[in-house]
Amino acid sequence: MEQKFVGFKCKACGRVMSTKHDRCLSCKATEFEEVELPKVGKLTTYTKLYTLPQGIEMPPLTLGIADFSGIRMLGQVSTDYPKIGMLLKPVWGKLRKLNEKDIYGFKFEPLE
Amino acid sequence: MRDVAIIGAGMTKFGRAPGDLMDILAEASLRAIEHANVVKEDFDAVYVSSMLAGEISHQTAVASSLVDRIALVPAAADRIENGPAAGGSALKNAFMAVASGCYDMVLVTGGEKMTTADTDIVTDLVATMLHPTAEYIHGATLPAMGGMLARLYMECYGLTERHLAMVAVKNHANALKNPYAHIQRACTVEGAMSSAVIADPLRLYYVCPISDGAASLVLCPLEKAKKFTDKPVRIAGLGQATDVQALQEREDPTVLKSVKVAAQKAFKMAGISADDIDVAEVHDAFEILEIAESEDIGFFEKGKGHLAVEKGLTALDGKLPINPSGGLKARGHALGATGVAQVVELVWQLRGECGERQVKNPKWALACNFGGFGNNTVIHVLERGW
Repeated sequence: MEQKFVGFKCKACGRVMSTKHDRCLSCKATEFEEVELPKVGKLTTYTKLYTLPQGIEMPPLTLGIADFSGIRMLGQVSTDYPKIGMLLKPVWGKLRKLNEKDIYGFKFEPLE
Repeated sequence: MRDVAIIGAGMTKFGRAPGDLMDILAEASLRAIEHANVVKEDFDAVYVSSMLAGEISHQTAVASSLVDRIALVPAAADRIENGPAAGGSALKNAFMAVASGCYDMVLVTGGEKMTTADTDIVTDLVATMLHPTAEYIHGATLPAMGGMLARLYMECYGLTERHLAMVAVKNHANALKNPYAHIQRACTVEGAMSSAVIADPLRLYYVCPISDGAASLVLCPLEKAKKFTDKPVRIAGLGQATDVQALQEREDPTVLKSVKVAAQKAFKMAGISADDIDVAEVHDAFEILEIAESEDIGFFEKGKGHLAVEKGLTALDGKLPINPSGGLKARGHALGATGVAQVVELVWQLRGECGERQVKNPKWALACNFGGFGNNTVIHVLERGW
């Protein structure tokens, strides 16, 4: 099944939020719809992490915040050569192990 | 509301402590009780801050255990958990209890025993305070968040790595004069800039160590403080504020809104402004945070905090000494102890008890205890009460 790359849009005021809230951060309304986000984002900031938490094995882990037309998401960036402003696309994949379980989510892959 | 005084302060040496969590909580508490001259007094309540007592020390309800250990039963006892701002939150609760008239004699003790666990386990446990689905599951850790904030600062405000190193050099130099500090080693800008990379652009020297430690304060109404000390420190202002949890979801991720709002509230309550502060302890878990917080508190203009460091304004002999204790970077960061330890240092500073690292004649002091990655900040403003 294809995973959708979505944000949460407030049905009352239209604000799109990148994480799930039970009330809108702008107007406190409680009804949301999932909306697909643009498939291309821009890297805003990043780090290459050498001290890893449990469940991620190979340093360095590149993490970054990418901006998808004004909606920012944090995720693993599949490159050892990140650059601010580079274009990225979300790709579904395995993120890490937690309590012996594989955890999946969207990672960001550089557009060629 | 009654005026509230801190009449005693004590702490353990931060670093690797030989005993267990209860040993260090008891040690810090007894030092504060002795410093306050209240060894024979009964206490109404005890607030104990710890973030990971259950997870690392495998002990829960630590406040109930501490009152037993140091013979303060039947005092009321609560453990306060608010991530790395647990200490600030515990002090806030104690302040409100005394200010409201509910309690007269209150002990606040914060502590954490961290060095017994492996670094990757501690890193993971601390990371669990991040947003569970938008940050944590992706492998984000606190140093990773610090690294991303530092890079944003470089992009937006012209911060360079050298500025981070300068904060580290200052805080290491201060800690050398603090017998309670975890890291007692001088460092140079070049040395710091050649240390191992932890979360690029953050190197080992721009990141706090994992410490054991405990710190403690004794509070009572200001009107009763004279009975025990001629140098009471008044808690003049208190501010606490939260922010959206995920860094990327904040309007401007370089602005620490919780710090900004908490500072404004604390200054309003104290009836002063940032310019009146003579000495501050701010939460430099990463050196970028000392710079960012110093701006959002209002000490320096946004985006100019690194220039203040460059000019030496925040050095021990500068216009506004920041982190005379060595800060989290060098005094150490024992999670639940940190917010209390910041205030312990400031109480000693206001009373002129800091020896070689004494700031010249301070009247007003500020402590900024930063929880989560900036989504829950507690700020206290202190005033010399004599």
